Amino acid sequence: MSTEGAGGDRERRLTGRTAVVTGAGQGVGRGIALALAAAGANVVIAARRAETGEPVADEIRARGDEAVCIESDCTVRADVEACVAATVERYGGLEIMVHNAFKGGRAHKLEELDLDLWDENSRTAAWASYYCAQIAYPHLAAAGANGRLILITSPAGVEASVGIPAYGPVKAAQRALAKSLAKEWGPLGVTVNCIAPVAETPALAYAFDERPELKERVEQRTALGRIGDAEHDIGGVAVFLASNGGGYVTGQTVVCDGGSFMGL
Amino acid sequence: MGDSPDQLLSGRIVVVTGADQPYVRGLAAGLVGAGATVQAVAMDALGSRAAAEAAFAAVAAQHGPVAGVVHAAIDPIAYERVPMHEVDDARWDAVWEQTLRRALFVLQAGHTQMRAAGGAFVVVTPVVAMAGAAELAPYAAAMEGVRVLSKAAARQWGAVGIRVNCLATAPEHVPIGVASGELALSPPALGGPGDPEADLAPVAAWLLSDGAHFCTGLTLSVDGGVWMAP
Repeated sequence: MSTEGAGGDRERRLTGRTAVVTGAGQGVGRGIALALAAAGANVVIAARRAETGEPVADEIRARGDEAVCIESDCTVRADVEACVAATVERYGGLEIMVHNAFKGGRAHKLEELDLDLWDENSRTAAWASYYCAQIAYPHLAAAGANGRLILITSPAGVEASVGIPAYGPVKAAQRALAKSLAKEWGPLGVTVNCIAPVAETPALAYAFDERPELKERVEQRTALGRIGDAEHDIGGVAVFLASNGGGYVTGQTVVCDGGSFMGL
Repeated sequence: MGDSPDQLLSGRIVVVTGADQPYVRGLAAGLVGAGATVQAVAMDALGSRAAAEAAFAAVAAQHGPVAGVVHAAIDPIAYERVPMHEVDDARWDAVWEQTLRRALFVLQAGHTQMRAAGGAFVVVTPVVAMAGAAELAPYAAAMEGVRVLSKAAARQWGAVGIRVNCLATAPEHVPIGVASGELALSPPALGGPGDPEADLAPVAAWLLSDGAHFCTGLTLSVDGGVWMAP
């Protein structure tokens, strides 16, 4: 991919800022990482497995942007602490924490939902949001008006989903966390927002495989008639929220799904 | 079924969780006033799916088929205001994890009892869940999680005649130190948070009744006119 084509918008709005993106080894996280790096940020690819994270860091560096992969399981407090500490040591600060990682989208019935599948949803969405928020907090506070916490949620966090009932609640929790922390951290200048994306990702492909009827429903319902691109369509929103231009937006969920869910 | 608007729930067995809290006692009293036979299930009976199933089955065995469930139980630790950077894992577990698990077990146990003949849930999710609140992030996250878990149940169980709706109450009913006036630029349109028995219970009774048979997945703000989104 040519440098010119990569990222499309390469306006360097985030030069000198550092971002951690969890789950950045693939999908939406990878797209956000590419976009933040293209905007000039130092990007830490926080991936549970280095073999997925390293290629993304390589891809970013091949474009002339800055990235490093740090192997880190966002459901383990010590891992998040180590990741943030290494980030700050390497780059001198942390302005932008993006929690995107998620695991648990297997189809199920609510009456049959067991605690193993519930725990995957709860640990990766809710517990990890708590860890990321809390552990990034002193650095976001130090960044003041440049401080950003961005949680990747879902339209299902508002309207729920019949096929994966455990998913909506944990995504809803992230929205309430964002609103609460927006109020709590507002006096510091730090903003806290959610992005609710729909993009072509391995997770969406998996969902379409599991529930073939879903693909047709998504395509029919999407006003723009296409599934989003993780870097250009979702990453661009993350760059905006992270930039100075997004500094007066807080406590919000930006639904970035091509005009499918319009319930806000 | 009672034809009188005051007896919407005549002859119906309604399980209420959280009735040790004063405002829930008021809600329960109002349901009794609407004709329901109310059976309280204590929060410590909701610690596992098996315990919740047993508690609900015991109500059915003793009183007859369960037709409605009002879920309001929550650990009082959830009401403590703590800045996010001072929350520890034990608190996050107690407020987020256990609140969601109890709601899941209540929904599952209620489904077991009501799947044959249908029924309705009313889940209490204070408006703070939708509004968010500083130093109450775990509480808001848990309540909003419960609210959308209720929607998921509504979507899945409509086909078997089980409805699930949420009652969004004013913050003053629980001791979290948030006033209705903080949640909107305008003051409460109807003047205050309302009396649980006189003002909230009639709405809960209606949501449980046949008149609401086409309503599921709703959140009704019964907060005196504060939270008006959407």
